[in-house]
Amino acid sequence: MGKRVLLADDDQLLASLLNFRLKKGGYSVHHSVNGKEVKEYLKNEMPDIIVSDIMMPYFSGIELIDFVRNELKSKTPIIIISSAGNEQNVLTAFELGANDFITKPVSPTELLVRIAREINK
Amino acid sequence: MINEFLFFEDSNTKEEKMNYLNLKIQIRELIKNDFDRNVLTEVLLDLRKDLSGQSQTVLIDLYKDLGLHNDAYEKLSSRKWQVVSSGILELTTMEVDESYGLIIKFINHRQSTIRKQAEIAVVNLKEEGIKYFLDNTKYKIAEWQQLKLLDVLRHKPNFNAPQFGLWLTATNTHVVLFSLRLIKYYNQNEAEQSIITLLKHKNRDIQAEAIECIKDFHFVSALPTLKLVYPKASHDIKIAILDAIGEVGSENEVSFLEFLKSTERHFNIKGKVNSTLNKINPESVLPTKNISTAEFYESEIEIEETLSTNNEIKKEVELSITEPVLDITMELNNEPELSEENIELESVAINSLPNEETEGEIVNETSTDKIEDEVELDIEVASDSVEQLDIDLTFLTHVNDKNEQANNDVEVVEDEEVKKVELAELVEELENELTFNFLPFVIEEVAYKEEISAFVEEDFEPLFVLDDGFIDEQEEVASLTLGERTTNEFEDIDWSTVTAEAITDNYCEPSSIDEPLVSFESDGISFSANFMPQEELDAMVILENIAELGDCRELDVLQNIADKNSSALVKERANELIQKFLYQSPRPTELFSADNNLSESVFTEIYNLADEETKLMLLSEIKSVGDEKEIHLLESVIKTESKFLAKAATEALENIKSQLSLVTEFIPKEIDNDSIFDVDFEIELSESIKRNIASNNSGSTLFDQLCSMSNSLYKKKNG
Repeated sequence: MGKRVLLADDDQLLASLLNFRLKKGGYSVHHSVNGKEVKEYLKNEMPDIIVSDIMMPYFSGIELIDFVRNELKSKTPIIIISSAGNEQNVLTAFELGANDFITKPVSPTELLVRIAREINK
Repeated sequence: MINEFLFFEDSNTKEEKMNYLNLKIQIRELIKNDFDRNVLTEVLLDLRKDLSGQSQTVLIDLYKDLGLHNDAYEKLSSRKWQVVSSGILELTTMEVDESYGLIIKFINHRQSTIRKQAEIAVVNLKEEGIKYFLDNTKYKIAEWQQLKLLDVLRHKPNFNAPQFGLWLTATNTHVVLFSLRLIKYYNQNEAEQSIITLLKHKNRDIQAEAIECIKDFHFVSALPTLKLVYPKASHDIKIAILDAIGEVGSENEVSFLEFLKSTERHFNIKGKVNSTLNKINPESVLPTKNISTAEFYESEIEIEETLSTNNEIKKEVELSITEPVLDITMELNNEPELSEENIELESVAINSLPNEETEGEIVNETSTDKIEDEVELDIEVASDSVEQLDIDLTFLTHVNDKNEQANNDVEVVEDEEVKKVELAELVEELENELTFNFLPFVIEEVAYKEEISAFVEEDFEPLFVLDDGFIDEQEEVASLTLGERTTNEFEDIDWSTVTAEAITDNYCEPSSIDEPLVSFESDGISFSANFMPQEELDAMVILENIAELGDCRELDVLQNIADKNSSALVKERANELIQKFLYQSPRPTELFSADNNLSESVFTEIYNLADEETKLMLLSEIKSVGDEKEIHLLESVIKTESKFLAKAATEALENIKSQLSLVTEFIPKEIDNDSIFDVDFEIELSESIKRNIASNNSGSTLFDQLCSMSNSLYKKKNG
């Protein structure tokens, strides 16, 4: 069984594509479409890496980082997917403890490389 | 299915390759359905936005491979502008370069959405698209569209920007403006002369953009043109030019800016001129607004310096006063018990001083009484000086210098006697200076008084001047009338100044002074107006009564009094009243008096002032409304006026007389006008009225009741 990846993105089309690519890359992917689902999942299970979009319903990517780092006290690597021109959110994410970020449009291959790098750190 | 296509790799296994081929066949079957084809197109377009890199390329290839772009081509031929626009967008998103030739024809489309979409597509699809666009566009390029086009160019990989200066000569001003912005963005400073020439463009935006380019590219050669353009430029352009001069200009532009500084009236521009001057020549223009004058601060500094100097002097004086006293007291107390150690210390201190002073010190130390006296004296003098030191001593500059010098000396020299001597000198000088400097206050006060007195005497004259002779006369009259009659309360008055010669006839005859003005009786004081002759007094009483109650009818009486009476006072008063009543209009009651000529006719005055035509009109009116008052006027008119007027007056007179004769026939000779009830006839109601009253039940209306009431009253009155 490969490394567990939590993919949190409300864009189901992109998420399914990334899901497909990550599974093809050997990762076990759990996809959540909103912040609530992410929170519930994280209470039960902690993945090896979290890939999350910043803009999500109920629970943003920033809040997710805060939740993981401060409430769950977890050091799980977090990669943020942000839209172009959303640099301020990226900076905030890094301040809260994000490990990496990738901007849309996303290159699935690039994301795979970044995930691998963060897991292998 | 799409994922399989997107992430298909040549390194995949045979099974995977077979699977890929099967999926391809399935998709081709599926897209035969329009709905499925549209869904697939939408999915691919959506993914195109989120994917980059290799996945994006694969996605675009899939799109083309499946022939979905043919649908977009069909959209271009649609008659609906939104369909055409979506077709252009689709081809642009999927980077269908082959569509370039089809899309360029929409670049000047009259529908703005299609046109704008085509502009972006043309610029996006091919590198030469921007050239084609700039060459051919005829329409306005909106600001937002310019930004979008610039964004497309920015993100275009390997974009080799053309020389946008070539389009500075375009006829479309928007193309020129956009080109200037592109020149600035791509730092194409080759078109220097073209940009400088555009400073003279009529379009303000182009002017402003050209100035921005000049500023960015630091075109020094543009300075003369900037100055040339400046006078006729708008406020915004002026500010931009000044900004550019500040960036590009040198000290050679200072004269131009100084000229502008003196001529410009606009607040913002003037401020910009100043900032530009400071930019070229830092600190050349200093703040001037709301800056207090130097005198304001100088006076404050002087006060502070004076206070500090005074405090220093005060402290020094206090120190010099207290220290010796303490020391000397200690010395006096300890003198019998001086140890060898103390003596040695003192001797060391003495040896360190100059010989002369040391000798003085030794002499002074030997005589303690003398020291005490001197110290007390110094304390007194110094304390006095300390009290006076609260006053501003800024004028004592040399003294201050001496103080400083003295302070230094005091600090250096440890010997108390030297301190005392110098202090005494200082205090003496201070006293002298203070005395000298306080003196002008006294002098100024005296001068002030003198000035006031001189001022009053020379420049002011009294509004009225009392005649001394008149005052003396009044006093004498009063003293004469009072003097002989007073009781013991008046006996103390000095009557020696009273002389009979001083009394004039106008006031009182000496012989007539028989009765006192004031008589003291048992029950009080009675006043007697006996300060003038009885005859004169009576006349004055009459005059005052006339003044209070009389009118113009008293003119004869007044004239008579004035003529007969010899007293100047009476004559004066009578004449005053005559003048008063001459201009006084008669009282209303007199208008109706029989002997008053003013009661004759109201037409008289108007008639005398009127012209002939008006006179005729008046006579006509008199004829219709006149009464016996007009008879006199009409008679005079008949006698004096022209025949024409006399004829009219005669007619009026005859008419009035006839009316009067008719009236006299009915009016009794003697009528008591006081009673309205005393009439010699009775009101007889006609039979018809009586019947009418009876039928109306007698008094049903207010009028009937009033009539019946008056009849009953009448009957009651007549018994």
